[in-house]
Amino acid sequence: MPHWGMVIDLDRCVACQACSAACRAENNVSFAGPEETALGRAIYWQEVLAEVDGEYPNVRGTFIPRPCMHCENPPCVRVCPVGATYQNEEGLVLQRYERCIGCRYCMVACPYAVRYFNWRAPEWAEGMERYQNPDVPIRPKGVVEKCTFCTHRLPVPACNQACPGNARFFGDLEDPDSVVSQLARSPRAFRLLEDLGTEPKVYYLREGA
Amino acid sequence: MKISRRDFIKVSSLGAVATSLGTLAKQSFTQVVPGERDLPYTQQWVSTICLMCPGGCGVLVRTINGRAVKIDGNPLHPVNTGKVCPKANAALQVLYDPDRLTGPMVQKGERGSDGWETISWDEAIQLVAERLADIRVNPGPQAMAFMSGRVRGQMGGLIDRFLAAYGSPNHIRHDSLSIDGERIGNELTIGHREQLAYDWDNCNYVLSFGRAFLEASRPTVRQIRGFSAMRRDRPNRRAKFVQIDTRFSITAAKADEWVPIRTGTDGALALGIAHILIAEQLYDRRFVSEHTHGFEDWTDENGVAHEGFRSMVLREYHPVQVESITGVSADTIIRLAREFANAQPGVACGGRGAVMQTNGVFNWMAIQALNALVGSIEVPGGALVQNRPPYTPWPDLPADTVADAGLAMARFDGAGTREYPLAHSVYQDLPERMLAGEPYPLGALFIYYTNPLFSSPDVNRFYEAIQKVPFVVSFSPFLDDSSAYADLILPDHSFLERLQDDEIEPSLGYAVLGLRQPVVAPLFDTRDTGDVLIQIARAMGGSMEAAFPWSDFSQVIQNRLSGLWAFESGSIRATEFSHFWEELISQSVWSDPPYAFGQWGRVFNTPSGKFEFFSQKLFAQLDKLRGEQAWGEWLAELGIDASGDMAFMPHYEPPRYIGRESEYPFFLNTYKLMTHAEGRGANTPWLQEKLGMHVKKSWDAWVEINPEVAERLGIEDDDWVWIESPIGKIKLRAVLYPGARPDTLNIPFEQGHKHYGRWAKERGENPNWVVASESDQLSGIAAWFSTRVKIYKA
Repeated sequence: MPHWGMVIDLDRCVACQACSAACRAENNVSFAGPEETALGRAIYWQEVLAEVDGEYPNVRGTFIPRPCMHCENPPCVRVCPVGATYQNEEGLVLQRYERCIGCRYCMVACPYAVRYFNWRAPEWAEGMERYQNPDVPIRPKGVVEKCTFCTHRLPVPACNQACPGNARFFGDLEDPDSVVSQLARSPRAFRLLEDLGTEPKVYYLREGA
Repeated sequence: MKISRRDFIKVSSLGAVATSLGTLAKQSFTQVVPGERDLPYTQQWVSTICLMCPGGCGVLVRTINGRAVKIDGNPLHPVNTGKVCPKANAALQVLYDPDRLTGPMVQKGERGSDGWETISWDEAIQLVAERLADIRVNPGPQAMAFMSGRVRGQMGGLIDRFLAAYGSPNHIRHDSLSIDGERIGNELTIGHREQLAYDWDNCNYVLSFGRAFLEASRPTVRQIRGFSAMRRDRPNRRAKFVQIDTRFSITAAKADEWVPIRTGTDGALALGIAHILIAEQLYDRRFVSEHTHGFEDWTDENGVAHEGFRSMVLREYHPVQVESITGVSADTIIRLAREFANAQPGVACGGRGAVMQTNGVFNWMAIQALNALVGSIEVPGGALVQNRPPYTPWPDLPADTVADAGLAMARFDGAGTREYPLAHSVYQDLPERMLAGEPYPLGALFIYYTNPLFSSPDVNRFYEAIQKVPFVVSFSPFLDDSSAYADLILPDHSFLERLQDDEIEPSLGYAVLGLRQPVVAPLFDTRDTGDVLIQIARAMGGSMEAAFPWSDFSQVIQNRLSGLWAFESGSIRATEFSHFWEELISQSVWSDPPYAFGQWGRVFNTPSGKFEFFSQKLFAQLDKLRGEQAWGEWLAELGIDASGDMAFMPHYEPPRYIGRESEYPFFLNTYKLMTHAEGRGANTPWLQEKLGMHVKKSWDAWVEINPEVAERLGIEDDDWVWIESPIGKIKLRAVLYPGARPDTLNIPFEQGHKHYGRWAKERGENPNWVVASESDQLSGIAAWFSTRVKIYKA
């Protein structure tokens, strides 16, 4: 049984957001529109987080593509009162929409903010429903949704398939010879908020030589 | 064989990627796939070419029961090798945009009003044919002008032919707004009026002068791949990337070093680096002596002594002098020069920021002079000259005296005349000429794949000017800013519904031709503009009809591409053309790798057969148009400060500005983002929603200002502010951005459409309402960064 993990090389990533766009198309995530976006309700299973800081001319830009970490020890699963959030035998942290009661405990518990609540029923402008992917269910109003590592099309998540910088790698972390296992042992490798003990299965490779 | 999507992806992405998916793509396979709902469905992957930008990426579109649902990269296409940028998937929202035009329309009310009525294609084509026939007789064929954008493949040639047969010299391409500075700079130094290709994969060092390398410089996906490869594909050999830019862009952020520079001074910086390369003997002496002209002092065939590039640079561009021009410290200039020389192969490249300036052509020549100095032209890891596919030539046009008379007239935009000696098009100059009826009044204006009422500097002028043209025809699939003021709209298909070849932009060096093809049947009563032009010509009869002996545009493409088949080289070979065409349809791409380096005779197409530090072409062209005028006077008329031999060599000209510094203290920088699809992306919600990730902005426009300057002016983050220039003002939200120079305000392109779809219209502001129209007279290129502005709280 494979244990899926992802490696994102920040030295190759150029913050183009192809991953985000491919994810939305693949996973039937519609757009939120200006008003809902302003309320922080735009859904990105795979968002590129950006921070530009410093003082001119000493400025630094940090860009981190952030899918679900599919933690080995997922806090979201622990707090779900109804078993809607679970970890499957391949290590993926998934959501049963029909069980979800929309309490959003999982959203509070997740330190990576990868979970999104459907404040409204998803909308497609007239005619745009035609680009819906039949392989991925449409989520109703009132449930939480999140990145699935594209479980319906493993072993290549849509974000990885698109990535023009070849910055993303995906595979079986249990297999010591897999590319992801090898890269995860790189001296450049790190994980987000490792000290929380969540054991994320997304590894990043630090920028720089 | 039954194959699930999961299996398909497995096949396509593991192991021998290109071959396995290539086979699948070729079969354009149809399978019934068990899915979780909508069972059963028929799935196809259809190969085509993206057109969200002019990058020409090959894509595979997944269709389910005839609906397009996902867009991936085509692994067979060498530009993007199976990868896509965010704009590709957003194309689904172009195809299924609810605001597309559903068929031809004629304006029955006033221009710009809602008085549109539907009209049949037959009626519309008859109407155009009659109007064109009338104009051709009186006032004459020159009165018809055709504005086009960065047209793809044979469309450019088809329009040229249409105009040549008709008798109009006025194909006004939008290149003067975008890339002509680079092209003309190359024409003067190496004799090719084209952008350059670069061998990124073997490059160790990049000096990028204002090139939006990772955002908007084409083909972007190829450049991102190259960037990634330079960094990590070669163990123990990581290239250094230096971004010289007025703004801390994404490229600057990802670069190893950002060199903030005062706008318009990139040429001076390049020459300061050249100074060190020469003074410290860091240049490639063998390359310079074998492959360049005008480096040392020289004497021409008439015995006249000329100063060489070496002497001129050593005299004029000491790093201390260059520091005072550019704001880049002399220490940095010296260090960059030494690094660049020692890390070869490396290249100096440039882009819109450095080149679309009043001194842009000379800036570009100065940047290319660096490549010539270190010998980084036509070698692995260097700058290359793109090979073109071997098309079958167009057949000769039938003789026609009316056409000959029209073609003998001067161009409407002044390109190639004493006004703009090196220009081929001067798009931004049209409004004044339309208003004045000079050099002659226009009788008809066709607008294809461009949007002058949105994309031009001082765009306000076009609204008035277009009213002076009695007959305006648009081919846009949308009721965009310009189409709204047309008399007739003959809507094209969306790019996912049409057949069109698409030669790549210069990038890989070897010839590559993509074929765009319909992935779904046209949703509406739209027509391919190529077909429509042929239908108009045929409706006109006579010499026009005789010039177009093809039934449709597909025949034109096949005829032209038969040359690729006859060439018997490249990725597709067949005994008969029909088989070649079938293969091309299934793969969507033909390529002819590898690039043969060291073809000096081909690459240096100049009078000397070398890279020309002293441009003989520039001298000859200006001398021809000079007449009896004294050189000094003539150069001054062209806005060139330099005199003597220096005027024909890469040198720094101080840029010109509109607006006094005392009243308008800031430079204005307008820029493009990855999510900006050349102004056409504004009605795609997915792109709107992630537009300005770096400043956490979406669905709006904004202005970036240096935080310390903002504090001094009492402006806080998210305040409404006015940006005012000598020609107008716009209201925007302020973003306090540490990556803004204290002397520069930055506004992205994309928003501010007056007309277009529901998500684009009346959203944010278009900086072209404050950008004044200024041009480089030598080349006719628009100087986008020549407007000074002020900012104050609204």
